[in-house]
Amino acid sequence: MKCSEQIIDYMHEYLDEEISEEHEKILREHLQSCSDCQEYFRELNKSIALVQSTSHIQAPDDFTSKVMAGLPKEKKKTEIQR
Amino acid sequence: METIVKHRIKQVIKGDQNAYGEIVEVYKDKVFQLCYRMLGNRHEAEDIAQEAFIRAYININSFNQNLKFSTWLYRIATNLCIDRIRKKKPDYFLDAEVPGTEGLTMYSQVPSETPLPEDEVESIELQDAIQKEISKLPDKYRSVIVLKYIEELSLNEISEILDLPLGTVKTRIHRGREALRQQLRHV
Repeated sequence: MKCSEQIIDYMHEYLDEEISEEHEKILREHLQSCSDCQEYFRELNKSIALVQSTSHIQAPDDFTSKVMAGLPKEKKKTEIQR
Repeated sequence: METIVKHRIKQVIKGDQNAYGEIVEVYKDKVFQLCYRMLGNRHEAEDIAQEAFIRAYININSFNQNLKFSTWLYRIATNLCIDRIRKKKPDYFLDAEVPGTEGLTMYSQVPSETPLPEDEVESIELQDAIQKEISKLPDKYRSVIVLKYIEELSLNEISEILDLPLGTVKTRIHRGREALRQQLRHV
């Protein structure tokens, strides 16, 4: 990566949605002129999109009943509490 | 949602164990998902997610009712996952290849609990590949990435869940993203 670390920091600020207008302007202008950084930024965005594309999975059907069966008996409650 | 949960928590503290079942129903998928993405397999995820709910129940009196219950619950679950990752025996990995087979993993020998619809099958390979890359992240980066991009929590909430300063959370997210960029760029 030959470009300044500063630009990469701005990419992260952008991804955290915490970038200032000034930094965003610098980032935009830089990306227009630098294909390496464009590629880098694309890869960052792609990796996030891939992680977010993992399907939302659900707990097994018997999950709640298993938890409830695993709870300490109510009468023992006082012994277990700290 | 939080209001209903707060009411149920009061009932649980008064000794109504059944009210806890409704709390489990509300959060079970989120907690299971968090554990699954942290641990990378369903059986361990189920085990740890159940443990998290049981611990939360046992320690319900130490829960500060002015805070979000989900934050506290996620903290318990995340800590249990990290403990499990650190204790994991290196010779026991479900996605390790079975000797003498090609591409057949222990995972495919564990019967699936839920049949998958046809249209999902197509992307299973990709899903597995992504999960594998998430699993490769060091646990301190994995937890922030999962909380941020899978559970879709704010940086502030992640900082509360992990009991870390906001600056540390940001640094870990940046490093986690950098690691994922390298790992996933050619996927």
